[in-house]
Amino acid sequence: MSTTVSSSRTSPPQVEAVAATPAVVTLRTVIDDYLAEQKTMTAVDMFSRWHETTTVPVQARYYKSLIPATPPATGEQYAFEVDLDRCSGCKACVTACHTLNGLDEHETWRDVGLLLGGTTSLPVIQHVTTACHHCLEPACAIACPVDAYAKHPVTGIVKHLDDQCFGCQYCTLACPYDVPKYHADKGIVRKCDMCSDRLAVGEAPACVQACPHEAIRIRTVATQQVIDDCESQQFLPGAPEPQFTLPTTLYKTARVFPRNLIPADYHTPKREHAHWSLIWMLVLTQLSVGAFIAEFWLTSQLGSLMSETSTEVVSLGSVPGLTALALGLIAIGAATLHLGRPNLAFRAIIGLRHSWLSREIVAFGLFAKLAALYATSSWWMPWLDIDMNWQPWLGLGVAVSGLAGVLCSVMIYDFTQRPFWNGPETTAKFLGTTAVLGLATLFATLAITSASRGQLIEQGPLLCRLIVMATVFKLLSEMRVLWHLRDRSNTTQRRSAQLLVGELRSTLGLRVVAAVLGGFVIPLLLLSQPMSVWSPETLRMGALTCGGLLLLGELTERFLFFSAVIANRMPGGLST
Amino acid sequence: MTATPTPKSIWQHLPQPLAEILHAEQGPLTRELLLAPGQFGLGKVPAKQAPDATTNMVCGYCATGCGLKVHMRDGEAIGLTPTTQYPVNLGMACPKGWEALEVLKAPDRATTPLLRNPDGRLEPVDWETALSKMVAEFQRLKAESGPESVAFLSTGQIPTEEMALLGAVFKFGMGFVHCDSNTRQCMATAATAYKQSFGFDAPPYTYADFEESDALIFVGSNICLAHPIMWERVMRNKRRPEIIVVDPRRTETAMNATQHLAIQPKSDLVLFYGIANQLIERGWIDHDFIAAHTSGFHEFAEFVRQFPVDVVLERTGLTSEQLERFVTTIHEKERVSFWWTMGVNQSYEGTRVAQALINLVLMTGNIGRLGTGANSITGQCNAMGSRIFGNATNLFGGRDFLNADDRQDISSMLNIPVETIPQQNSLAYHEIVEGILRGKIRGLWVIATNSAHSWINQEHFRDVIDRLDFLVVQDMYSTTETAQQADLVLPAAGWGEKEGTVINSERRIGLFKKVAKAPGQALADFYIIKSVAQAWGCGEMFAEWTSPEAVFRILQRFSAGRPCDFSGIEGYRQIDEAGGIQWPYPSTEADDSTERRLFAEGQFFHADGRAKFLFDPPRPMPEPPTEEFPFVLLTGRGTASQWHTQTRTAKSAVLRKLYPQAVYVEIHPEDARRLKISPQSWVEVSSQRGTLQARAFVSPTVQPGQVFIPMHYAETNRLTDSVFDPYSKQPSYKACAVRVRPWSGSVPSSRHS
Repeated sequence: MSTTVSSSRTSPPQVEAVAATPAVVTLRTVIDDYLAEQKTMTAVDMFSRWHETTTVPVQARYYKSLIPATPPATGEQYAFEVDLDRCSGCKACVTACHTLNGLDEHETWRDVGLLLGGTTSLPVIQHVTTACHHCLEPACAIACPVDAYAKHPVTGIVKHLDDQCFGCQYCTLACPYDVPKYHADKGIVRKCDMCSDRLAVGEAPACVQACPHEAIRIRTVATQQVIDDCESQQFLPGAPEPQFTLPTTLYKTARVFPRNLIPADYHTPKREHAHWSLIWMLVLTQLSVGAFIAEFWLTSQLGSLMSETSTEVVSLGSVPGLTALALGLIAIGAATLHLGRPNLAFRAIIGLRHSWLSREIVAFGLFAKLAALYATSSWWMPWLDIDMNWQPWLGLGVAVSGLAGVLCSVMIYDFTQRPFWNGPETTAKFLGTTAVLGLATLFATLAITSASRGQLIEQGPLLCRLIVMATVFKLLSEMRVLWHLRDRSNTTQRRSAQLLVGELRSTLGLRVVAAVLGGFVIPLLLLSQPMSVWSPETLRMGALTCGGLLLLGELTERFLFFSAVIANRMPGGLST
Repeated sequence: MTATPTPKSIWQHLPQPLAEILHAEQGPLTRELLLAPGQFGLGKVPAKQAPDATTNMVCGYCATGCGLKVHMRDGEAIGLTPTTQYPVNLGMACPKGWEALEVLKAPDRATTPLLRNPDGRLEPVDWETALSKMVAEFQRLKAESGPESVAFLSTGQIPTEEMALLGAVFKFGMGFVHCDSNTRQCMATAATAYKQSFGFDAPPYTYADFEESDALIFVGSNICLAHPIMWERVMRNKRRPEIIVVDPRRTETAMNATQHLAIQPKSDLVLFYGIANQLIERGWIDHDFIAAHTSGFHEFAEFVRQFPVDVVLERTGLTSEQLERFVTTIHEKERVSFWWTMGVNQSYEGTRVAQALINLVLMTGNIGRLGTGANSITGQCNAMGSRIFGNATNLFGGRDFLNADDRQDISSMLNIPVETIPQQNSLAYHEIVEGILRGKIRGLWVIATNSAHSWINQEHFRDVIDRLDFLVVQDMYSTTETAQQADLVLPAAGWGEKEGTVINSERRIGLFKKVAKAPGQALADFYIIKSVAQAWGCGEMFAEWTSPEAVFRILQRFSAGRPCDFSGIEGYRQIDEAGGIQWPYPSTEADDSTERRLFAEGQFFHADGRAKFLFDPPRPMPEPPTEEFPFVLLTGRGTASQWHTQTRTAKSAVLRKLYPQAVYVEIHPEDARRLKISPQSWVEVSSQRGTLQARAFVSPTVQPGQVFIPMHYAETNRLTDSVFDPYSKQPSYKACAVRVRPWSGSVPSSRHS
């Protein structure tokens, strides 16, 4: 090597060439040997045969005392018990659950949150491990339209039936504790089942086995005790109120928590997933229902008008009805696309007895069929020689089933207990959309059909006035949440409002501009002259722009509806 | 609420095929999560990951040294669970351990050597080219600037055998002098303190002491997050112990304490001198032990009279009740143990703080007995191996480069010319950095550490290493901050892909095994260093160093007759079967119990057999808060899911869910209100050296006037100040002055990978 050193002094680039020849030959052999050696796996041959061959789980010596010795008796069930005084926040439970249940790379079923509070002289920091609470009244199971949840009659464990799930994700909205997790690749939800297969053979759940501090155990609880405990709301500081689902997990502590204890993520309103297919589905079903009702109302108006002035039966023609029908069907299609496994959509009515989602599907299914009949009635009724006097009754059926569907939609969201989705405000929003878009659709379809110019000139001013009124009502009801910005405490509604004027402010701006232009400026412009003054092209242009802007506005409003909601969940950690 | 549905009853009445279509209780998706008996003493495991064999090895993150049972199929690892029978962790692991295999699969693993081309980009080359280039460059530098021109910075993360080979090849074979390792950043203070006080770097305890103590005093240690499995042992203590935490911050550990002494930053030395003074004044000391086994007590007793109660209260901010209760606890409890980590080590006067704790146990006789000791909790999995066998600060086996006899010892044991052993000490880490700045050191070889993230005053450091003629980075990942600056990246196999032994915090030697294939051309550091020796032309000198186990035998020879004697170990298999073996384990009269502590006889390693009382007057904080920089910045561990510079832990999707992705700064609500900083808003934190943007974590867990930023984020060390302990030369990461103000600029993206 001395040659290398001496030659390197003169010109380093040449060194490689000079040095390479003698050194590299042996070096390459050495490296090849090492690379081969690196790929040889020896650990098993060298060592494993000295390791245990026992079939009894050796870890049982540590967890035996942490699980019940006998199954629950009547009136009892299994529950998690978390000793907060022993939870140090290491989060081993999360990784153990992930590993021992064979979950996918990003998937976790257990979470660890953080509560903070106290004073400068005595600050309090408390980690909280949490998974499914195996509730007495599991909201996931009640919400599920396909009965993909089964609460075990003996153990009380709420188990998710993965093969039954069709991926509607409603349970992920309904559970107040953010437990069911959607697995997009598989198109289904999965969740903690308290390692029921382990408990069945006397093994402890993964988290119980893995907690270094024995902070998690399984115990048997009396269901009546759970009900009584939930009554006093002493579930866990910062957690959603327990009366809704009656969670069974017992959080115990000898500490006296300060009254200002709040979750670490309390001040960070987190924007929720937007669910675009649900946005389209809701807005278009409401449009469709609204358009049918508006058309039905207009037809009956005209009918009574005509019967006084003329003997001719007047029909608006099928354009508004067919448009509404087409958009309604698109909406239902969008809802199907939302499913993780759309091919199993037929299971959706299984949960009719308890699930608002099943009910919504039934109502809109009926609506679609009646609407199809109604929209085509002027053709098939005479053909079948049915008295056209029955037509209004059919129209009434369409209106009733459609409104029932919209109200079921309201209940779906109201059921989740999320304040931003409360019943009255959601009803106002959904019915408002129904009115605004129903009227706008009718207006637009009249404008694009030259045959209906007469009716347009006659009814246009009324339609425009109604659109303005509906828009004003709608906007005001939406903006109500912003009053919560004045709340003294950081209420859930205030956090929604903060999201709206913060992270989501440009979307909110778009929403307001679209509504003001489409539902206010254009209708008022058109109203500034008698309708007959406007050329058919201007009216068409005006009505279509009005309709388009209002549709955009409603879609934006629904985007905000999903994005700005504050989900109920267990206390979270520092935001990421 | 409506009644809970009971699906079974409905579906049972339907014909089977129809029931399956309408209500599928079983099927392929259910089977994906099916559990099956795991055998080998495991309970149920996921059926798709059922092993056909298992093997035990120790974890490669921290110095707790947990045993992990690796699940094997067809000779390769497919998963792991903590080992129930391993005497360290008793079947438990922290999140890092559970996810240890996951990070080996990361897409940014270095799979081939990468050489920086003339365009400035790193491009793949073969091993021959890479090593020839490295050797040519280092030989050129040696020829031009002599044996001090190239240095290495190594790690506490690789097995002892690899450290020893590296230290031997670099110093004896390649003929260079200067090297250090990242253990300078974590354990140098403890090593120095022990060496000065006890005569050898010898943490005296065993983990059973956590369970056996009546009073555990944790100083600058958030053991709940930093060493969760040691905290497991504390939680198993059945003696209802007093747990005293000395830490300015309300940490998880402080929450679990019976006494939390939230002292002012860097007032620890005053506190412990004051405590010593109180114990002496009240006569609450063990005169017999002091007389028989220590030296320097009288000078110490005289010295601590400068620290009466009022001085202590004034400096620490404690109340007299707190102080009184602390002193009384030490006196009344039969078994008192002191435990410290980085809050002590990473200080400009850390060595003396550690020794202040050692002094307390010496004067109260709390050493050598169950549940006692002045116990340093080590950081990295093999910091202890590095301390004895890194061949950096000490010659092998805790010997001295300046001592001719020691050099002769090693030269005859290795059968190498004694002249090949340097007769001078290596520069310490910060002196190497200084050497680069001055142009004295021109080549640097960085092994398994990420200095461009972790070294203090980071922007300065990054600037300094840009001046190098040639920077070689040897790492598992080609994406570390340091690798990004390298001229040559050498792809290394990691934990789980190679063999070797490591020494944990309680001196237990544990085994790494090869259970996974390294990606591409990556090689174990052992083979890389052997190849470098071969390319250098000194391969012959290390002919005996054929395999890690062969090197282990050499290390046993080095250890024989030293305090760290483990010459009695038969080989890797015995370590494996015994569940790790603590040193000392000499070839004669070895004690086979699984938990052993030192100094039961009161015999220390100084020539006179006595332990020394060592002390210095406390010095003021080097950079106290000023009007411009009014806050004290504290740094430390963020979560148990993050490891140091996140080179590995950021590669696990699950671990990433367990900590905030962006850097955050913990600030007291009063300060936040005053500065109009709302919770979770972005703030700018600046020191005289650098600036970062972080999210505000408004919390009373820090005191007013103090802020805390976790060390895992790359930005953190832009702020810290290059100040070092004079004895251990360890950087003082824990306290510098910063300014905090609201930040309204665009939201910065987190820079850590």
